[in-house]
Amino acid sequence: MKLPYSLFPRRVFLNGLVGGGLAALAAAFIGPLFKFVIPPTPEPDQVALPLAGFADMAAGAVRNFAWGNKPGFLKRTGDGGYVAFVGVCTHLDCNVKFLPEQKRFYCACHKGWYDEDGLNIAGPPPAPLRRLAVVAEGDSLIVKKAA
Amino acid sequence: MNAFRAWMEERLGLGAVTGFLEKKEVPRHGHTVLYYTGSSILLFLGIQIATGVLLAFYYRPTLAEANASVARIATEIPLGWLVRSVHSWSATLMIAAVFIHLLGISFSKAYRKPREATWLTGVLLLGVALAFGFTGYLLPWDELSLAATKVGTNLPKAIPIVGTWLTRVMRAGDDVTGDTLSRFFIVHVSVLPLTILALLGAHLFLVQRHGMSVPLAEERKGVKGPVLPFWPNFAYREAAVWLILLGTLLTVAVVFAPGLGSKADLMAPAPEGIKPEWYFLFMFQTLKLFPAKVLGLNGELVAVLVMAVGMGLFALLPFIDTRPAERKGRIITALIWVGVAYALGMSIWSLL
Repeated sequence: MKLPYSLFPRRVFLNGLVGGGLAALAAAFIGPLFKFVIPPTPEPDQVALPLAGFADMAAGAVRNFAWGNKPGFLKRTGDGGYVAFVGVCTHLDCNVKFLPEQKRFYCACHKGWYDEDGLNIAGPPPAPLRRLAVVAEGDSLIVKKAA
Repeated sequence: MNAFRAWMEERLGLGAVTGFLEKKEVPRHGHTVLYYTGSSILLFLGIQIATGVLLAFYYRPTLAEANASVARIATEIPLGWLVRSVHSWSATLMIAAVFIHLLGISFSKAYRKPREATWLTGVLLLGVALAFGFTGYLLPWDELSLAATKVGTNLPKAIPIVGTWLTRVMRAGDDVTGDTLSRFFIVHVSVLPLTILALLGAHLFLVQRHGMSVPLAEERKGVKGPVLPFWPNFAYREAAVWLILLGTLLTVAVVFAPGLGSKADLMAPAPEGIKPEWYFLFMFQTLKLFPAKVLGLNGELVAVLVMAVGMGLFALLPFIDTRPAERKGRIITALIWVGVAYALGMSIWSLL
């Protein structure tokens, strides 16, 4: 059956073509600006700490260090090694605190608790604290992203 | 004088506007008081603009200087403490007036046809007002405002697909830093003011175009009820309301001036008792109560999605409440009461 009129007239087609072209042009100009909006803030691949500042820690003791612009916690393990955590709550990003007498990490924002190994044990945190790998090299401790 | 007026009229052609205002009528009924809520918001917005400009004379949006510059405003600048206090309190009263305006419209169902577009511009204005509050909260750059902003900007992360990107746009990267502060400042003093003026223009235009809404019960009487001329009768009444509000604002601003915490430290643990502004408390409490896992899903994700769906439904209220006078309309009214009770209950709980 042949309709007496077109369902998609030439005028609509051409308007769509010109309008679509202009929209694509606008997107090509504006799109790159979105890149400008987010600056590069890469997390450090590794942080070197002077071993001398951390060698006197007792087993189970915890000390702060700076992991880029986030707080980090370095813990002395029972066998004399070290483990490190990023001191940022996995719930909503608040900085956590280590309470030495309770041997726990605590987030004051929404009352989240982690044990001394960084495991989430109470409150809203959905995951353990992020772990970092620590190796001793010469007179420094190298803290790296865990593999 | 008449010659001057005619000269102006020839050039500006404002006769249409003044003619409209001369003829404008305000309906009189049991809920006429709700008509004052809109102009009250306008009063507080005007005060926000004036005091905001004054604060910006001395405020410095940088990591090193922000906190100290607010301290300087509050302690050294003549009457600086008052300007800051008025800005802070006027913000609170404006949001309160916005909520009263919103509830009045919700319960009198003033959003019904043909005022759906007015409602939508109002919902967008509410969003802008809350964004003003959220961005302004960070600017003093003290411990509490940093922690609250970290939490607030982390929330969008739970949204699928665009969430992480949104958080990075808000924070200027993965973390809250000095770049976040600059960004919040320029959004607070430039992007949002331009947006609110544009939306407000559309909102006010639509309100005038449709005239004042009357409550359903009045409308169904079928006869035109008594009216009050806008000029001068209603305008004078509004002026009286403004005077009372201004007096209240100055009183609370003088008696309860806001404090200033110690300068935010990106490395310090979050302080005890972080609280957002009072109008975000119900969301804060909801987040606190949601467990880590709900039906195997991330609890935060569920909480954010539930709240987002609730707000989305509220924004589309005129399109859902299509039969306001019938049973469906009464059920929706009851649901709004439930929502109000939830928000109030959660807010009070979080303060206990």
